[in-house]
This record gives sequence, structure tokens and C-alpha cells, in this order.
Amino acid sequence: MNAIIALSLFGITNLFLGFLNNRKILLPATLLFVLIAFGLNLADWNHEYYWFHNMLKTNNLSINFTSIILVATALVVAISRGFGNDEEHTHPAEYYGILLFSVVGAIMMVTFQSLFMLFVGIEILSVAMYVLTGSDKRNLRSNEAALKYFLMGSFATGIMLFGIALVYGATGSFDINGIGNMVNQAKLQDIMLNPYGPILYGGIILIFVGLLFKISAAPFHFWTPDVYDGAPSIFTAFMSTVVKTAGVAATYRLLSISFPAVYGLWGNPLVYITCLTLFIGNITAVYQQSFKRMLAYSSISHAGYLLITVLAKTPTTNSSILFYSLAYSIATISAFAVLMVVSEAQSKSGKPDESFTALNGLATNNPFLAFVLTVSMLSLAGIPLTAGFFGKFFIFADAFSNVSSLFKTIAVVAILMSTVGIYYYFKPIIAAYLKKGDLEKIELSPIYKLTLIITTALTILLGIAPDLVKNIF
Amino acid sequence: MSLAVLIPLFPLIGFLINGLGFRRVPKSLVGVIGSAAALASFACALSLFLNFSGQPEVVHIFDWITIGDFNISMSFQIDQLSLLMLLIITGVGSLIHIYSIGYMHHDEGFGKFFAFLNLFLFFMLLLVLGSNYVVMFIGWEGVGLCSYLLIGFWNKNTNYGNAARKAFIMNRIGDLGFLLGIFLIITHFGTVEYADVFSKVAEGGYESGDKTLMYITLLLFVGAMGKSAQIPLYTWLPDAMAGPTPVSALIHAATMVTAGIYMIIRSNVLYSLSPETLEVIGWVGTATALLAASIGLLQNDIKKVLAYSTVSQLGYMFMGLGVMAYSSSFFHVMTHAFFKALLFLGAGSVIHAMSDEQDIRSMGGLRKKLPITFITFLIATIAISGIPPFAGFFSKDEILAHVYEHNKLMWVLALAGSMMTSFYMFRLLFLTFFGEFRGTHEQEHHLHESPIAMTAPLMILAVLSAVGGFFNLPHIFGGHASLATFMEPLFAQSHIEAHAPNESTEKMLMIVSVIAALVSAAVAYVMYVSKKAVPEADGTETGLQKVVYNKYYIDELYDTVFVKPITALSNIFYSFVEFLVIDLIVEGIGKLVKGISGEARLVQNGTTGYYIFAMVISIAVMLIWGLRIFILG
Repeated sequence: MNAIIALSLFGITNLFLGFLNNRKILLPATLLFVLIAFGLNLADWNHEYYWFHNMLKTNNLSINFTSIILVATALVVAISRGFGNDEEHTHPAEYYGILLFSVVGAIMMVTFQSLFMLFVGIEILSVAMYVLTGSDKRNLRSNEAALKYFLMGSFATGIMLFGIALVYGATGSFDINGIGNMVNQAKLQDIMLNPYGPILYGGIILIFVGLLFKISAAPFHFWTPDVYDGAPSIFTAFMSTVVKTAGVAATYRLLSISFPAVYGLWGNPLVYITCLTLFIGNITAVYQQSFKRMLAYSSISHAGYLLITVLAKTPTTNSSILFYSLAYSIATISAFAVLMVVSEAQSKSGKPDESFTALNGLATNNPFLAFVLTVSMLSLAGIPLTAGFFGKFFIFADAFSNVSSLFKTIAVVAILMSTVGIYYYFKPIIAAYLKKGDLEKIELSPIYKLTLIITTALTILLGIAPDLVKNIF
Repeated sequence: MSLAVLIPLFPLIGFLINGLGFRRVPKSLVGVIGSAAALASFACALSLFLNFSGQPEVVHIFDWITIGDFNISMSFQIDQLSLLMLLIITGVGSLIHIYSIGYMHHDEGFGKFFAFLNLFLFFMLLLVLGSNYVVMFIGWEGVGLCSYLLIGFWNKNTNYGNAARKAFIMNRIGDLGFLLGIFLIITHFGTVEYADVFSKVAEGGYESGDKTLMYITLLLFVGAMGKSAQIPLYTWLPDAMAGPTPVSALIHAATMVTAGIYMIIRSNVLYSLSPETLEVIGWVGTATALLAASIGLLQNDIKKVLAYSTVSQLGYMFMGLGVMAYSSSFFHVMTHAFFKALLFLGAGSVIHAMSDEQDIRSMGGLRKKLPITFITFLIATIAISGIPPFAGFFSKDEILAHVYEHNKLMWVLALAGSMMTSFYMFRLLFLTFFGEFRGTHEQEHHLHESPIAMTAPLMILAVLSAVGGFFNLPHIFGGHASLATFMEPLFAQSHIEAHAPNESTEKMLMIVSVIAALVSAAVAYVMYVSKKAVPEADGTETGLQKVVYNKYYIDELYDTVFVKPITALSNIFYSFVEFLVIDLIVEGIGKLVKGISGEARLVQNGTTGYYIFAMVISIAVMLIWGLRIFILG
């Protein structure tokens, strides 16, 4: 948990580093900070600790989630390129600082023991993201996205806070284990006859609305395409990896600790939400012309896949979620990294071109970028020999090992939808290899290239030998 | 980390250097790197062998895939069988790598060649090292791939490309059987680890003739048929001679094609309980030995003769497996690796000297120009013909003795095959090295003995072919059957009822087969040296000769029975089913999805108020659904 304290201090340090004239130091410094936090996080391995008056609790599961969050953060920082050289309009020290603060929020979301901390974590993360979404101040779309995100986000937070209040009213506790004990005592059959039953139900549903909003599950996904599309790509990459992982981890933590006994209450609504998410994410992505917007819908669909195993709650759910989150995060960061450099090279009248056509002929002069893109798309689509295949495989296996036939139905829906996914994930590959374009060779900085090599190699390695990582989880 | 990990690692590194550095690594370095990788593996294998305690050891490297209780691990098994295979593969492999430095020197794809050769070694070592069927399968597929790449190495020639494709497809048919066998093992035993499967069989009270075991063993044998070129899947091996000669020596004679025999010996616990399968194996082996030997009698391409001879010798090995003489079969694998590699390398030396001429009708009298090649080739010929005291005699007679105990008819057929072997090998020898030179003047002018890089491996292999038989000298010659004793622990679980023939029978059988071989050799001498007969030109053969020369028209038969009907069927499907059914459904679904997508996209209209409205409605629906009993009463 020292990671939280360290990251907060590092965030402030970053703000002070902004007074230096040398902007180049910011990126390596931030990378170093994240790595230190990573080390501090691992120091608690194999121990269960309570922190801050039992408000946070770390165990191996939360350390694993924190590790994935920090790895994703490090990769995003590594491809941030110091946020450009525009002295006038960019403020890299602040961006890096806010990024670190938001990671603090994300870590709180995966280690919370009290619902207070869940709320505080979500708010720290969200407020930071509202700011970062609007960081491209002169771009109208960025402004619009930030305002939309803020309006809808605060709406969802309000609903969630109301849910927490209701749950407290029904159980008299903010502690997730305490809530769990209270819920356990009430038998499922008569919980609705219990005067607190309806209040508990309402509370659970409203809390989940808040969480589902964060992981952009349908029908609370509406903000996602607009915000992802409008935000600067680097922050979209951050949102679709770190924020998503933290949201799924928080949902899973709450469901598995506090409310397993009343599965009958929330199981069905969440199953429908999962199916709807899979459907909307995949189907709507088909029609998109913009690569970035397609990635936004793809991130909705991946929330659906993750929800399947969260709901199936088999003994292997832990490792399945972790593996999927990792596989999804590295592939997504690869994709955004390619998108960023290509869209800038293709920019029309100062605005980056983020459509599929921008990728046309990428392979001719930039075979490395085309290869990275291909591997990441194949992984997102779940083609064998990439990490994404095993991610999906483990999730579908979880669904099939659940006794309820309902999960077999969900798995079938998910498999059908992932075949739809192949359609749109192959669009960028086709554009890069088969279409003709006049893209010049793009020069990549060493750290950028190294990051891409790492993500691509990891994607392939995990696709060949998944147990290398899965055994840790 | 055990030494075992290093053994496949060296060739892999060699492959990466030569493969990634293709065209950049200097030519002089390429051969050194490739050969050094093979030699380093050999050194590791030798050190493992010398320090072997007699106890099998499983080296766990990492868990590969775990699904529920089922675990596939990447792990190696070091025991008698894998150690011997390792020595053969890396030993013969090293010699052939060195030979290739000389043989391939003028080829522009030198680096590519060594990269493929090292990759092959890597997969072959994986095949024999794996401690479970899945790792074996990875190696199995890998060597198939390398075989394909190397047969079609000179890919500018369409025929060579076709030969490569044929090898690949024939092997795929076998691989399907192997794969199904593995699936059956998984469903039946729940594990693929050798040790677990065999102990489950040994302790599970399986009766001899158990149906499941029979299906498993038959399916695995289908895999072996493909890889080890048995009837009906043997036709690819003669065509595989399109590859460079060192490839034929390494892959298509000494190592890869014996993978099927390795696999059956490895699974001997399963096979010993399936007498029906053993019967099938024995007869398939016999038929293959006989058929291939008879085709070999009339071939005129030096490599084709050796190819049919390989198929025929593999038949003998399967014959031995069929009568549960596992260690005898393995003995033959070993001696065959020595003398057949030698024969191919010798043939390579001849082809090298003859400026790429492979037709023995254009050769003759080469013994004066190529003395080392001649002497080594002679040793190998004597060895393969089964004339004592060279290697082939001991190993083949051991198999024949076991076959005699099992089935007299099979023995007679095997003896007939052995006579043919002796005949076609001496025919090859006499036509190539004796008599007058029949080639063009230009070729005669070019004739030269090969460089030391090529002759040194020949000489080493010649020594091994000469003395290889003493590794397993039978008791009647005062030996201790050391190889058989060494391998005994492998068969501890399979309860073989020993049918060792008594000494007088064994002696009698040996005398008969030696006389038979000598007679055949004498006939060949009379025909091709005394009478100086030269096979006629293509197209002038008649009757049975023509049938045999055209390999019994087996290729044409397969073409008519399998390829043509499938092509016809495919045409029908293409013209009707494809257009009417598939396209309609596939494109229909595609259009449907796109249509829905087009509509669904409109929901995302950009208005925040509308988004929030949708959220509120959803929340309301969920609350009403959950609290319906209160609302509806």
C-alpha cells in the first residue's frame, strides 16, 4: 500500500519538476516513479494487510490487479512522448502528475475494504480523467468530450453514492466483509420479505450502475464512444486499459465478497447487461469508419467478455480476469501506439486523421508498425497464438464450467459476437497490407519502439505459453 | 537447469542466427555456426549419456497450458531410449552438417540451408526429448515442416515444389491419425505424460486385446505410417529425393523417418497389449519391405534406389516391432542410420563429382577416380546387404530370428526381400563404380574426389557401419547383447513373452540369410560386371519390368482413386453448393449484421440528455423488475 503514498508524493514531485526548464526529464522520471511503485506493490506479496483503519486491504489478488494497472500505466507513459513540444499549450508536468494521481485512485478501487474508499477511489480516478480528456484545450471535440464525460460521470457517481447509502441503511456497515456477513445471515428466499430486502436490492443495483458506467457496460456505455473519440489518443489508451481494469476489479471484489449469497437478486439483471454489452459493442463497431471509434466500441465489447467470468464465479475466475485484463491491456496499448503515430503523420489541416483509411499502405514503408498493429488486432480478435486467444478461451471455459445452463447460452452469444469482432478487427490489417497508400516512413524514438517490441513480444509469448503468467495469478 | 535443455537450445540458436542473419552472416561463418550448434548438442548428449544413472529422469521446464485438471507441460524425459536417439540424431546430424559445408558450398541459399537444417535438428530433438505426447507432436509437426522446406529447397523447379507438397500432404494424413490417437489418450487417460499413461495402463488391469488400446495404437500407427513411409502412405519418400542430398541423408534416411519407430517403441506398453495392432504392423512392414525392395530392383536414379531401399528397411523395422522385438528394431534403426546416411552421402559425393548427374546408366568405372567414396560405399553396401561382420548383418538377422519364431511365412517373405536388397544394392554399386565410364566427355573431365569436409564424414560413418553391429553382439558370438540389456528397463511394464530362438536355429537362420545375400550379390556381379549389362533407356521396358519400373503405378492409382474424385466433388461443390448455399448464407449474415449495425449506430446520437434518459430508463427497469412483487402485490 506504500504504492499509494509513494505515487501521491511522486505526483506532487512531478508538478514541481514542471518548474524545471528541461521537459525531457519528465518522461523518464515518471517511468521511474511508476516502476518504484511497482516494486513497493510487490513487496506485500503473500501477505494480507489492512491499511488506514481497515479501509483498504491488500492481498495477492489486489496486488496482481495493481501490478497490471502499473504495467499498463508504465506502457502508456512510455508512449506518451513527453506530450509534444508545444510549449504554449501543453503542460506535461501537470499531465504526468494527474496521471499518477489517477493511478492512486485506480489502486484504491482494487484494494478497497470500505465502500467509502471505493467511492473516493472512483472519484479520484474520474476527476483526473475529466481533466485529461479536456487537456487538448483548443480542440472543440476534446472540450465537448470532457464536458459530456463530466456531466454523465457525476450523474453516475451520484447514483452510486445513493446506492452506497441504501446498502448502509440495509446492513449497517460500510465494510465489504461486514456487509457480506449481514447478507449471509438473511436467507435468500425471505430476503425480499425482510423489510430491508428491497432497500438492499435497490442499493446493490445502484452501486452497480455506477461501476458498470465506469467499465462502460451497456446501457451505461453511451459516454464511451464520444469521450474516447474526443479525448487525446494517449488518454484514451489510458482510459481503456487502466480505468477498465480498475473498474472490473472493483466490481469483482464487491460481487465476490459482499453479495455472493444473494446472487439470485442481482444475477439476472447483470446477465442481461452482459449480453447487451456484447451485442452493442460488437455490432455497432462493424459500421465505424474511424479506427479510434472502433477501438472505443471494442472496449465496450471487452467489458462484456470480462463480465462473463465475473458472473460465472468459478474457482478460476481470478486468474481468468487477470489474464484477460493483461492481454487486453497490452494489445490495446499497441493499437493506440500505432494509431497515434500514424494519425499524426496523416494529419489533415492540423487535425490527426484517425479513420481506417489513414492506415492504408502502412506495411509498405513501415513494416514494423504494420506487424505490431496486426499482432494487436489478432490478439483483440482472439486468434490463436496471441494472448487474446487464451484470454477468451479461459473466459469461455469458465462459462462452460458453470453448472447453470444460462452461462452456456451466454458463452454461445459471446462466441458469436467474437466472430463479428473478427470483421472489424481485420479492417485495419487489410488497410495496412492490402490497400495502397502513400505513407512515408515514420521515425520512432527508441523508447517508443522498445515499448512496441515489448507489448508485441508479450502478446505472442502469452499466446504460446499462457501458463508462464497464469501460474502467478 | 539440466544439460537436457541445452541440447535443443543450441540448434535453435543456430537457426536464429543463420535464419535472421540470412544474407548478412558471411558464408564462411554460416557453416561453422550450423555445425558448431550440432556438435555442441552432441557433446551435451554424450555427457548426459556417460553420466546416466539408469533411472529415467523427467526435466520439467515450464507448465505450458493448464485447463481444469488437465495440464500440458513442456518437459523432457531422459531415459535409455531418448539418450540413444539423441546420440544418433546429434552424432549423424553433426557429420552431415560438416559434409554440407562442402556439398552446398556453391549454392546461393547456403545460409538458408543451414538455418533449416538447424531448425530440423531442434524439432527432431524436441520430438525425442519430450516427456509427453504433445511435445512429441510439436516436434513431429516441426520436422514435417522442415522436411517440406528442405525437399522444396530448390523451389524454382516446379517438380521439386510438387514433391515437397506431396510429402507434406501424405504426412498430414498420417498426422491426423496421430492427433486423433492423442485425443483418445487424453479422453481415456486424462493425461499425456508418458509416465502417467503407462503406469495407468500397467496398473489399470487392461486385458490383452483391449478395444480402447487397440484404437489408440492403430491411430498412432497411422501417424507412424505417414512419417516412416509405410504402405499406403510411402509414396512421398522416393519423391522427397528432390531435396539436396545431405537432407536425404539426414532427414529422409537417418533420423526423421525413424520417428514412427521411436514413437511405437516409446508406447510399447500400449502396443504390447494390442496383439491385433501388432499383427497389422507386422504385415504392413512385411508388405512395405517387399514392395519397396522390388521397385528398387529396376530404378536407375542413384538416389531413387536408395530411397526405395530406405522404405524397405523401414519395413523391416516395423516387422520387428510387429513381433515385439522392440530392441532389435531399435538396433536396426541405429545401424541403418549409419549405413544409410553413408550411402546417401556417398551418392552425394558421386553426384557432386558427376556435375549433378544422378542416372547410374551414365556412370560406371568411378572407383578409380573416387577411391574414398568407393571404399566407403562398398562398406555400406555390404553392411546393408546383411553380410557379416558388418553392422546390417547383426541387426537384420536379429529381426529375422524373431520373425521366424513368430510366423514362418513372414520370415520367408522377409528373406526374399533381403535377397532383393542385396541384389539392388550390388547392382547400384557395380553400375556406378565398375565397368567403363558411360557419361559425357565433359563429365569425365570434371571427375574428382570430394573435399575433405565431405570425405571425413564418409570415413567416420564407414567405420561405424563396419563395427556398429558389435554394439549388440549376440550371445552366440560371445557377445552380451549390450544394447538390448541397456534398453531392457524400457520394456519392464509391457510384459513381453520372450521367444528367443534357440542357438542352433539362430545359427541356421543366419547361414541361410548370408548365403541368400551372397548369391544375390553374385548374380548382380555376373549380370553387371561380367556381362556388362546396362539397363535400357526409358520407355523400352516391357511386361512386368515396365510395371515395376513405373512403381506398380501406385501414384497413378492414388490419383485415380482419391485425387480425381475429390477434385470432381470439389468442382460440384464449387459450382452449386458454394454459390447457392454458402454465399447466400454467409453474405446474408454479413449484410444482416451490417444492417443492424447501421441502425444501432444511430442510437449513439451525441445528445447528453438523451444518453442520461436512456440510463434512467434502464435503472428504472431494473428496479421495477427486482421489486415487482411489491409493485404488483
